[in-house]
Amino acid sequence: MPASDIVGRARGRVPTGLLLVAPPVALVCWMIIWPIFSAIARTLWLPDPEGGRQLSVATYTFFFTDSYSLNNLAITLWTTGVCAAFLLPICLSIALYLRFADGKLAAYVQGLAIFPMFVPSIILSYALIRVLGPNGTVDLLLNSVGLPKINTPYLTPWGPVIGLVWDNIPITVLILLSGLGAVSDQSIEAARDVGANRRSVFWHIILPRITNSILVAISFTVLGIFSAFTLPYVLGPAAPEMMGPFMQRTFRDLNDPTTAITQAVITFCFCIAFGIFYVRSVAKNRKA
Amino acid sequence: MDRPRTDWTGIAFATALTLLIVFPLLVVATWAFTNVWRYPSVIPQEFGLRYWHAVLGRADVWTSITTSLTLATVVTLISAAICLPAAYAFARLEFPGRNILFFSFLAGHAFPKFGLLVAIAGIFLNLGLIGTFWGVVLIQLVGTLLFMIWIPVAAFQSVDRRMEESARDVGASPLRVFWSITLPQAGPTIAAALLLSFVGTFYETEGAWLIGAPQVRTLPVLMISFINNQPVIQFGAVLSVLLWVPSFIALLFARRVIGSGSFARGFGG
Amino acid sequence: MKRRAFMLSTGIAAAGLALLPQIASAEEGRIDWYTGSDQNVMDFWTNIIQPQFEAANPGITLNLVDAGDNAGIIAIAERATAALASGADPQSDYFENHDPRLPAGAIENGLYVNIKEAGLSNYDKINPLAIDTDYSVPYRGSQVLLAYDTTKLDPADAPKTFADLVAWIKANPGEFIYNRPDKGGSGGNFVRRAIYEVNGNDPAAFTVDNFTDESSETMLEPAWALLQDLAPSLFDGGSYTSGNTQSIQLLSQSAVTMIPAWSDQALQAISTGVLPETTGLVQLSDLGLPGGFSRSVILANGTNRDAALKLADFILTEDIQSAVLTELGGFPGVSWDYVSPELREKFADVIPASIPVFPGGDWEVAINDGWYRNVAPNVDRSQ
Repeated sequence: MPASDIVGRARGRVPTGLLLVAPPVALVCWMIIWPIFSAIARTLWLPDPEGGRQLSVATYTFFFTDSYSLNNLAITLWTTGVCAAFLLPICLSIALYLRFADGKLAAYVQGLAIFPMFVPSIILSYALIRVLGPNGTVDLLLNSVGLPKINTPYLTPWGPVIGLVWDNIPITVLILLSGLGAVSDQSIEAARDVGANRRSVFWHIILPRITNSILVAISFTVLGIFSAFTLPYVLGPAAPEMMGPFMQRTFRDLNDPTTAITQAVITFCFCIAFGIFYVRSVAKNRKA
Repeated sequence: MDRPRTDWTGIAFATALTLLIVFPLLVVATWAFTNVWRYPSVIPQEFGLRYWHAVLGRADVWTSITTSLTLATVVTLISAAICLPAAYAFARLEFPGRNILFFSFLAGHAFPKFGLLVAIAGIFLNLGLIGTFWGVVLIQLVGTLLFMIWIPVAAFQSVDRRMEESARDVGASPLRVFWSITLPQAGPTIAAALLLSFVGTFYETEGAWLIGAPQVRTLPVLMISFINNQPVIQFGAVLSVLLWVPSFIALLFARRVIGSGSFARGFGG
Repeated sequence: MKRRAFMLSTGIAAAGLALLPQIASAEEGRIDWYTGSDQNVMDFWTNIIQPQFEAANPGITLNLVDAGDNAGIIAIAERATAALASGADPQSDYFENHDPRLPAGAIENGLYVNIKEAGLSNYDKINPLAIDTDYSVPYRGSQVLLAYDTTKLDPADAPKTFADLVAWIKANPGEFIYNRPDKGGSGGNFVRRAIYEVNGNDPAAFTVDNFTDESSETMLEPAWALLQDLAPSLFDGGSYTSGNTQSIQLLSQSAVTMIPAWSDQALQAISTGVLPETTGLVQLSDLGLPGGFSRSVILANGTNRDAALKLADFILTEDIQSAVLTELGGFPGVSWDYVSPELREKFADVIPASIPVFPGGDWEVAINDGWYRNVAPNVDRSQ
């Protein structure tokens, strides 16, 4: 086996690769892909008045002509964009610091940056209501020194943004940090030796090497935010809703699984766009 | 590597994160020891351990902690065993349908869970997996696949190929190359993925409930029922504080693991 | 090999690896019972119903499982639907409180037992107003009332009619909040009270069968107008909390002065100190805020279906229904004639016999979605 592996590189590996990916792919096909396809089929194959079923895009047309649904989609995109815009610079700077620092302080910073992972969303939402909510801790402190209360983000679109950024810091930092692990010290020192300053080291040495990790980080954040439920539900306004609570409500309260799945498919298409970016960059890296 | 001057950046980060991350948690932690805390008092009117007694006195809390830890460990280990080889294959090998298969893992995360879970429950019913430990393992395993494949793929890609090739040139077997060159370099990233899977599994509720009820009860399932049934925050706060202390200590030590790969290479490791 | 120590670190928690996989299936004679209700309901079943029922029915035991919330129950119901299709064991027999219309199509699929035709000896005692469908057993009720901060509002000035309430809200902007109507009955019943208000305060105008698209439009539109008109005077210029508990929290933090609240939840919150003792409770006297009944549902494909039916019959007995009044602080699911005369006398003042109950079914969906589309968004958030 090892011998053929080295000799017959091009041909011998075709089955090996498939063999290695077979167990997780089989699991996904069995438990995820198949149910999804049957669900999508149901949104396109609607019951007709005669009791049969016929091909129709009515549920999709409804979504894209219904201003309420479109507003919900818009607020989801807005939240995702704002969260990503906050997360990337915050987490990149934390990760850069951690990559080049060591010692107790760095361990403490890293511990803190990863810690939100251990806080379930439901506890986080309670904590944020207690801290930033009306008459919360911040108000208490301001009030005790005679300052006016803050304009609370609770029940406004900023509530979920704060919660989601907080919640997504660990995963973003972890992914970026692991990407930075691939940037060798030698290459940075070499660049410094030829007189590059910090900024150009970052732009020309570090950034190109971690593009992949940044894409992974963004993909995961976007996925997480798109499907977020608890934080937008508890912290956000009643309307417009983010897609997570909206789908849940359509499915559970309005008893309308077909519409809920239509919303899901549309959400999924937006997520896939990010996935395509990522797969492309993976493919590009391999060729290089 | 010498750094005699004061680490001002570090102090700035530490202060900012303490304020933003620790402060809200501190408020929750204070709530755990509070019986009554009402506006406009800055400190609680009445401290007490009432809710600690209420939580720790319950046998189901302790069994569910054991269940959750065991579940998360088993799921993470199985996931690593099947996903890491697959991630290696996705990163390094050519095979038909690679991109589309790679994509397939996205599906489970981008698609909302409620519809999927019901379909999976239907499959499990026929297999007699409902209400069993291994049924819950299987449902949570599916939830970890995306992390455990996508993140390590990025890691395997960034491993220096020249080092591997030179090792092979001096006669090392592929397995030996993988074990001594590839894995150590990808190590920190894989550790991150393992951590994400472990914690993600630990706090997963919907699947654990739908597949596990009524026999298997994980801690978050119990916690949700505490929190939802009471207008008090204390139950959740107590359970959280119970779990935070060990997690934070573990994270301080994790610095060695997560940071070690890059650190060691700085010294030519 | 220090670098690979991470493998060990993930095993920090591997302590209890002694796993004994067991094939689980529902036990004969053990009713798998689920609730999504509050802890006080769970306590009521554990301490009152379970011992009495098990004593009266040797060989049958109850396995009381807390599902957390209604979504937890629906998940189990969906699992049972899948079990129904394949003839598998759903490992569930009895839902303490559930709407048999969920998940969609459940009744048509035959997921639940038709209680009306199941021959329960106590079925005829049920208060006719409480019956929603033939597939559920109403056994306890509770009401929504107004909870307010007596330090900010003198009980003498508390609103007595809906018109008073509207006037008070407008005169005190930012001091009132209700939750989204689908996320908890306190806000939901406040919205329903507004619907009664614009339809002549006549609960009889709404029945589960008189829903049509036209009737809902003409009857609900004016209510949306009323609620929209109220929105700018609500907390934060038109915010709505995401549940009963969040409203109670805002009241307990003195962020608002008045909220609609479930009577039992408010009383429990006061007794546990979540709400201060200075919290006042008031019911409108022109027409009360509607209440609601909790209705048990039995799964047709449960292993212990017959035992579960016995249980459903048992909770309608006079003993248990009286305990609902005395121990749970709710009101009975049976007509008042079937509660002991002393209790009827004693509670006559505390719990009015005529809490309006708004019908569910299509009305529920129309109200929830109508509110989201008409009332929730029409708020100018630009400040």
